[in-house]
Amino acid sequence: MAKAKVAFFDFACCEGCQIEMTNFGDAAFLELLNHIDIVEFREAISEKTTEPIDVALVEGSFTREADRARLEEIRRRAKIVIAFGQCACTAGINALKNHQKDYKECVYGKDAKMPHLDSAQAQPISAVIKVDYSAYGCPVNKYEVLQIVSHLLHGKAPVVPNHPVCVECKRRETVCRYHEGDHCLGVVARAGCGAPCPASGIPCEACRGFVDQPNETALKKVLKEKGGLSERRAEEKTLMFTANQRGATTAKHPEKSPALAAPQGGRS
Amino acid sequence: MQEQFLADKAFEPFLAKLIAAGPVVGPVGKRSQFVFAPLRSPAEARLDYDVTILPPKKLFFPPAQDLVRFDGDKVEGCIEPVAMVVFGVHPYDVKALDMTDLLFKERNEDRNYLAHREAATLVAMTPQKASSRAFWGSIGTGVEPKGHDALLTKVPGGWIYEARTPKGTALLKHGDFASATKEQSSAARKAGLDAGRKCSANLKHPAAAVAHRMKTVFKDEKLWNGLAEDCFSCGSCNTVCPTCYCFDVQDRWNLDQKSGTRTRYWDACLAEDFSKVTLGANASENFRETKGERFRHRFMRKASYLNEKLGGPACVGCGRCSAACTADIADPVRVIDTIMGRPS
Ligand code: SF4
Ligand code: SF4
Repeated sequence: MAKAKVAFFDFACCEGCQIEMTNFGDAAFLELLNHIDIVEFREAISEKTTEPIDVALVEGSFTREADRARLEEIRRRAKIVIAFGQCACTAGINALKNHQKDYKECVYGKDAKMPHLDSAQAQPISAVIKVDYSAYGCPVNKYEVLQIVSHLLHGKAPVVPNHPVCVECKRRETVCRYHEGDHCLGVVARAGCGAPCPASGIPCEACRGFVDQPNETALKKVLKEKGGLSERRAEEKTLMFTANQRGATTAKHPEKSPALAAPQGGRS
Repeated sequence: MQEQFLADKAFEPFLAKLIAAGPVVGPVGKRSQFVFAPLRSPAEARLDYDVTILPPKKLFFPPAQDLVRFDGDKVEGCIEPVAMVVFGVHPYDVKALDMTDLLFKERNEDRNYLAHREAATLVAMTPQKASSRAFWGSIGTGVEPKGHDALLTKVPGGWIYEARTPKGTALLKHGDFASATKEQSSAARKAGLDAGRKCSANLKHPAAAVAHRMKTVFKDEKLWNGLAEDCFSCGSCNTVCPTCYCFDVQDRWNLDQKSGTRTRYWDACLAEDFSKVTLGANASENFRETKGERFRHRFMRKASYLNEKLGGPACVGCGRCSAACTADIADPVRVIDTIMGRPS
């Protein structure tokens, strides 16, 4: 079988998710290159491609109308599109600005009027193109990305968790933040990270976004009653990574899987 | 067998010798709570613990357990049991292990669990404390714990050790034991009988009446949706439960894309995707779609469905779910009280 052609693309983001992949180091990467051809990957190689691709890992959110054509062009060339990282999946922290008016003045002061700072609402790439799979996280979990790619190489549908971070805390016997008088978003946050933050005594910020059906009403209640947050903070607390997911039961992660993967439709 | 007495000053040397002889797992402190972990020294053991975050089930059926390693067409099982002493298990957890022993033996023997379980020596211990959510003193009272190899009980001046199996007897050689006097034995028996009173929560209703009522309220959607209104579907109540035993199986490939591991992970019926099944190409169906249905399912399993098979409810009253539930809606005592107080 010819090696699968894999390319990374970036839109509005910090490219930290690409960097995260380079953290695998040489040995792992070179081994992986026996099975895939990386044809575009701005953070690691200078080559670019206009050829058809098997798997496109698209990082960053859609914030400019001008990016629409490029996204569509990637979609046309790619058998499989993976939303790569939280900015691509839900618009991540970029979506914070969707709820603010004065962010440009706040960040850039007198330079706020510079034309290249103009951008529209931050949206997930699924607002423009069909996304086949999502690699959540800010940054992505590189081991999970590896498994997603492995599953695709073997013609299987990748499995991405849709249960809250609580499951992972309990599995590793982390003392719950709420038992220590703290607050935490783990109850509504999508797992898959292994819950490192609560294990270090830090509340989960839901950097992989919400699960498909977050109980936002109950969340606000426990943030106030158990976490001791004020009404306003309880309201704003969940905004950091989930601004675009608030108040809407989120779109299910995509289930259609084309060509390369034989869809299993199993639970994730 | 005659009960043995171990004086307080001989206790540490006994535990030290056990640890020197092979792996010993016991309760240790973790921040403000307790977990079962390998003991490096007797001083680490917190025999005054009230409850551990996860039950000792995790030692035989860990949260992630490799089942099979594969390399191309070559496949090999990963059953590599370690003979260990599990020290200081409370009787409610022994009862829960009795249940998982039975459930994993049924029909297809689950060697991945049983091999680990059989390799272990279980030293139970009469609880010195009960957690604030525990109600083991009042549930399944007709069911005696039976899977332990020995029972240890604190009495004035020392400990009473009651060996119940040859494995339990074999540990006696590590300590400076003497035959217990009548008084010492009866002090231990009394401590055992009194232990249940340490629980501040109590289930007032007999198991058979609860099991029956569960069936009559099964279709009461309003009841279940109300009980589950604040539910996060986080599955914490399942994950910490000593009698939950569902798992999900996943394959992972190594970098070479040829070799890898098939692993089972604890699953949770309160989580949304647990009941999601495929309907073939790109279609799926969730047969317990609402949180109310999932919440109900757990209570049916704990208080009704398995009663006949297990001889009592599939809940041992450890109170772990009550404490683990951030929404604080999972407490079986409160839920059962609500259900029993409801006109049928
Ligand atoms: S249902 Fe709750 S109280 Fe009963 S055994 Fe499970 S965790 Fe313990
Ligand atoms: S622990 Fe509580 S909130 Fe979480 S699934 Fe169980 S009942 Fe629902």
